[in-house]
Amino acid sequence: MTALLSVEGISAGYGAITVLRDLTLHVGRNESIGLFGPNGHGKTTLLRTISGLLRASAGRIHFDGADISRQRPATIVNAGLVHSPQANTMFGDMAIAETLELAAFAPRARAGAKQRMEQVLTLFPRLAERRKQLARTLSGGERQMLSIGCALMCDPRLLMLDEPTLGLSPRLKEELAEAVGAIARSGVPLIVVEQDVEFLLALTQRLYMIEHGAVSREIDRNDGLDHGQVMQLYFGQGGEA
Amino acid sequence: MNSIVATLVSGILLGSLYALMASGLSVVWTTLGVFNFAHGALMMIGAYAAWTVSEGMGLGLLPGILAGVATAALCGIVIEYLLIRPFYGTRHMLLVTVMTTLAALIILEKGAQLIWGAKLKQLPRLVTGDVSIFGATISWHEAIIILLAPIVLLLLWRFTAMTNRGRSLRAVGQNQDAAALIGIDVPYAFAIAFGLAAALAGLTGALLGSIRFITPVMGSEPLVKAMIVVIFGGLGSLGATAGAAYVIGLLEAFLILWIGLYWTPFALFLLMIAVLIFRPNGLFGRA
Repeated sequence: MTALLSVEGISAGYGAITVLRDLTLHVGRNESIGLFGPNGHGKTTLLRTISGLLRASAGRIHFDGADISRQRPATIVNAGLVHSPQANTMFGDMAIAETLELAAFAPRARAGAKQRMEQVLTLFPRLAERRKQLARTLSGGERQMLSIGCALMCDPRLLMLDEPTLGLSPRLKEELAEAVGAIARSGVPLIVVEQDVEFLLALTQRLYMIEHGAVSREIDRNDGLDHGQVMQLYFGQGGEA
Repeated sequence: MNSIVATLVSGILLGSLYALMASGLSVVWTTLGVFNFAHGALMMIGAYAAWTVSEGMGLGLLPGILAGVATAALCGIVIEYLLIRPFYGTRHMLLVTVMTTLAALIILEKGAQLIWGAKLKQLPRLVTGDVSIFGATISWHEAIIILLAPIVLLLLWRFTAMTNRGRSLRAVGQNQDAAALIGIDVPYAFAIAFGLAAALAGLTGALLGSIRFITPVMGSEPLVKAMIVVIFGGLGSLGATAGAAYVIGLLEAFLILWIGLYWTPFALFLLMIAVLIFRPNGLFGRA
């Protein structure tokens, strides 16, 4: 069986700056993967390229067998490949309930939108409490919840989360990590970008380490690497374990 | 007493026209972040297209008004595609689109002159006869404009606030990437916003063509007034824009009564300058 998502030799960047260089990875059916690596090495750019916000200058991206490398973001979302970006502020002057309703915009997401809305509000009770509040009045953690909630409203077949716990207090971080865990258990395959390797190892089957715009190492959870060894890979020889 | 009522009624009529014009500017601004200087010219195109179908082809005023709305909408979509979209996301986009929409204004005005000639034209009225409101007499056509404007504005508000298609226009204006990532086709939203605003301008033109003369430059004065309205009310919210339109309409009518036709534009621009100095985000706008 073919992979759910396969990224083959893509290069992408901003103007004259190339960020991704000949990057290849894949996500099988019924698996979740994690991406980690130093900041500024292309993880976010990779997700932006997959979701169509950025066009790859070379290479191919296939989702569920179809070539999506030249598609518009709206088409890609409608195929079920959904991206919740880093530090997403959503729509400042729109209320939470309104935003979530709007997020079921893609034709494939319309059926069952009401039901998913209830699931999202159960997953994030804070959003349910603040239903009528405008997005710009939300805290960083609540915005993150709204962003993930919107992504779920799109009825994802593969969900990409870019640092869902970035910059949050330990307590909120735990709350969000739990929610992401619940999403994974509900059967939605994930691509998660995180610095917290332990969190990724608990959540996903395989990890890719992204360095200098390419995959520098692939780690299978079944390889039996423990946290310390992963950290050693991350920081290199002599690194702190 | 009578002159007060008559002034009130004519102020509300002016307010209705400005509200229809300015709401289109507001829709384009909140979705694309562009100020459309061709908006008045689109109004003029609506009036001429209505005249061609109604009088030129003799098909009647209602089909004429529909044709005016449709033609203006089509022109709006073409302007967006050719003169705004290529510059989207480039540096100084706001300034560049000031120039490109001014270019569209010139093209449309000169184009209308070539197609329809310099001879003044006028549309018949929707309904003939006059109506008396508390002693002030206006034509039924004007009364219909006064009644129609709030209905159109309410429908427009309902569309942007209650439907997902309408919300998608606001979403695109607030965060393009986030909008794209929930499946909203951003370029399509631009086309819809521009087409909708142009349709509103076309409707205004087709209605105005019965009470004023249709000329290639008939849109410039309403556009200037609509600019005063959006400076007064801010461009961000439809409610504030519509409210400001009625305030400016009434103010204009009473200024004409008090200080005369000659000094009224002067007073309105003075007010605009004062608002720009003291409340640059509009009287109802957020700082």
